[in-house]
Amino acid sequence: MAGGRLEHDVPCRFSHPLSATTELDSPKSGKYTPSVHCPAIPDHHHPKYRFAGNSDPSFVFPTAIATRGSPSQTSRAPAIPAKPGHLASKRGVEDLDFFIGDEALANAKTPGYGVHYPIRHGMIDNWDYMERFWEQTIFKYLRAEPEDHYFLLTEPPLNPPENREQTAEIFFESFNIKGLYIAVQAVLALAASWSSSRVTDRTLTGTVIDSGDGVTHVIPCAEGYVIGSAIKHIPIAGRDISQFVLNLMRERGEMAHVPPEDQLKVASKVKENYSYVCQDIVREFRKYDEEPLKYFERYEGEHSVTGRKYGVDVGYERFLAPEIFFNPEIFSSDFLTPLPEIVDDVIQQSPIDVRRGLYKNIVLSGGSTMFQHFGNRLKRDLKQLVDRRLDASVLAAGSALKSSGVEVDVISHKRQRYAVWFGGSLLASLPEFYTSCHTKAQYDEIGPSICRRYQIFGSAT
Amino acid sequence: MILLEPHNYIIQTTLAEKLVKPSSLDVQFVDFDGVRFHLSTPERKTALLLSMHIRCWDELVKYGAMDILKREYGSLVAPQVEQEYNVSLEIDLDQVPTDPEAREAFVMSVAMFKRNALAAPFERGFKTQKELEASGGSQGEWMQVHYRDEEAIYVQASPDRVTVIFSTVFREETDRIFGKVFLQEFVDARRQPSIQNAPQVLYSNRDPPLEIRHLPGLRNTEDIGYVTFVLSPRHFANPSTASVTVSHIQLFRDYLHYHIKCSKAYMHSRMRYRVSEFQKVLNRAKMEVATTERKTASGRTLVSR
Amino acid sequence: MSNVLRPYLAAVRSTLTAALTLENFSSQIVERHNKPEVEARGSKEVLLNPLTISRNENERVLIEPSVNSIRLSIKIKQADEIERILCHQFTRFMMQRAESFIVLRRKPVQGYDISFLITNTHSETMLKHKIVDFIIQFMEEVDKEISEMKLSLNARARIVAESYLTAFNA
Repeated sequence: MAGGRLEHDVPCRFSHPLSATTELDSPKSGKYTPSVHCPAIPDHHHPKYRFAGNSDPSFVFPTAIATRGSPSQTSRAPAIPAKPGHLASKRGVEDLDFFIGDEALANAKTPGYGVHYPIRHGMIDNWDYMERFWEQTIFKYLRAEPEDHYFLLTEPPLNPPENREQTAEIFFESFNIKGLYIAVQAVLALAASWSSSRVTDRTLTGTVIDSGDGVTHVIPCAEGYVIGSAIKHIPIAGRDISQFVLNLMRERGEMAHVPPEDQLKVASKVKENYSYVCQDIVREFRKYDEEPLKYFERYEGEHSVTGRKYGVDVGYERFLAPEIFFNPEIFSSDFLTPLPEIVDDVIQQSPIDVRRGLYKNIVLSGGSTMFQHFGNRLKRDLKQLVDRRLDASVLAAGSALKSSGVEVDVISHKRQRYAVWFGGSLLASLPEFYTSCHTKAQYDEIGPSICRRYQIFGSAT
Repeated sequence: MILLEPHNYIIQTTLAEKLVKPSSLDVQFVDFDGVRFHLSTPERKTALLLSMHIRCWDELVKYGAMDILKREYGSLVAPQVEQEYNVSLEIDLDQVPTDPEAREAFVMSVAMFKRNALAAPFERGFKTQKELEASGGSQGEWMQVHYRDEEAIYVQASPDRVTVIFSTVFREETDRIFGKVFLQEFVDARRQPSIQNAPQVLYSNRDPPLEIRHLPGLRNTEDIGYVTFVLSPRHFANPSTASVTVSHIQLFRDYLHYHIKCSKAYMHSRMRYRVSEFQKVLNRAKMEVATTERKTASGRTLVSR
Repeated sequence: MSNVLRPYLAAVRSTLTAALTLENFSSQIVERHNKPEVEARGSKEVLLNPLTISRNENERVLIEPSVNSIRLSIKIKQADEIERILCHQFTRFMMQRAESFIVLRRKPVQGYDISFLITNTHSETMLKHKIVDFIIQFMEEVDKEISEMKLSLNARARIVAESYLTAFNA
């Protein structure tokens, strides 16, 4: 049986591209159930598609769709039925003439085609495009007959239930899928952390730090349910880090040899390949100044058009880049709260009886949390905050009673980059997945409103 | 995308990617008609093992699938089949031709794994027709391929033609009605002068065609349809036309259902448009309500919902 | 608008306009309840005589007035199986979005395809003649839309069949 999932992201003040995750699981033969899984990840607006139980996505591509029609057309006006009643729309199959994903971007310049992004700020905003996007994903890329599969889709926290209903309407009515499960992205990220050897009990309580390209979310989950009122967003994410690296390198004059159109690309390569989180900036600076040869790296690039070679020295930005999470004042002047403080706030705003669980299980997800030692630094800073508060309250109470302390732990694992997708893959490969799905028969009986009910599963508790 | 492609996109892209940068791998995926694939590197990074499970494998073997796979893949066909699968290919990335064109052709041929296995009954049908034509025999046996749980392909060779019958099930009322419209057009389309050379298509709803009524396991319920294609010798006159015909005809059922679904998606977008138009008309009826900002005693603003 | 359709719509329009004389009316049975009487059917004396306007046996409108609410149900023309399924899909799609249509009922009255429920709150907050306009425009366009959908389905089917069969010539 198959599961497919779609994820949308929470709207936030930074324009954040969407994501759709779909995962299909496959048919019914005896003991063995393979699965198709087509998730799209919130990161880098690249949906990832693949089959449940796999460790890597089969496809990762942007949720872009290139259709015939004016490119400037806004997402408000649906391209196809714009003029129903006119002969053109009766006559043809124009609505089949489109490309999705990387092919859409490749065709962006073809005359007559325009590229659209059906997901905006993590939410689907053009259902016509989204439906066709799914159509081609299923038939061209996954090559799965949807009637034979269960789908796992993902959604961002606080996704309006109407969106779930519309999604169910498309999947059950247009595609006749066997069953559908809509999972919350943060919960899947928690499930993905089960793959870490440090996780002993499979709990769905924890704080998820999800950092993609556009925005970073801190999401507390208690036993599989998101505590919506305590979610916080941070307007610092991958894109800002790249920009910061670019600024640093420009200031040092490194970018002088790099063609302007390649500069941002070089900056993001430097971010991805050379950056790490240090424990102490001052000491790190001293280390670099004493032995520059040991710590400076050299990045060699090639101009994408002319093929001319160039090289840049990579220096302090190696540890300064991710530092903007911990000292945002070095990059931005309007957002100044460090990540550990935000995490602490989020947990303090959650119900008191789950706070211990939230501190104990902080899970990272998304490409921008991949820096080396990111988890250790976050853990250290957060622990200091917590201990300081405990000490202060002991002092204020003036009693001899002392708290036994709060355990703080940040889980990093190998699947962090596509954590949501991997969590989906993991859950879809569990036998309970099929019983937790909404089936076609239930849909026919009750209607799209069945998707308002959200059933958690997979937790050991 | 109007026509479906015969090759598997995941195999194609993954293989092309691994040829450039070998790495260990273990993925499972599917194809139409419940085919399952498992692509892994059990021993080393450059030795890929691609296994396939097809529901109707035993039937395909009976009709010569193994010969076709041996012909297409030669020594790649693994002597030892992976457990739970029907057939495996061993691909040594170091042995793949380096010339870009040959490499692309190789990748494509592996991506056609399922197509080649499913080609067996058709190729045998074409061969039998030639023999019957030469010997003046009567009719070949009905080859049955139960490629899906409730649906099957029947192939029979006669001295002057090869008949292919598909049974297809419509799970839903809407699909059944849309399917009928589509199939009717398949029958009628041949009247167009430009496609007179296409195979003749016959379609019956509910009742199986006379030719196969004697076969066991047929259903005649409302939700089933039978589509007959009559392939004449010109559709498989030479190997290249024959191969196009085979790739094309085996995807018929998927093609039909794909387009039924696309039509429903199209209807959805029409309805979305129409409903939003109605919405605008109704909104015109709403009176402009002058909204004054209301505040509580403490100065907080009330937001009306 | 064809000449046959005009008198039919005119009849619906004038009946509906006349029937849309609604006032606030609290339940006589349960204290502090104020429900659409046409739905609650609690007290007989506040229900008025229902009325059917029929264009032919397949197309008719049922108007059920009461003191504080009016229910209007439409049976849409369905000439064949295809139109039946398209009509069913369309009305269901619309009723799924009843939330934003305010006057739309989530389920049709038995024997009809779609129902509207207009209460005194609606007639007080919205312009009465515009509500009537909306209903009439809906009736006019829904037939057109369904037949267009049918045509486009046929056209698609033809293209799909032709594309498939042409590929054999290659």
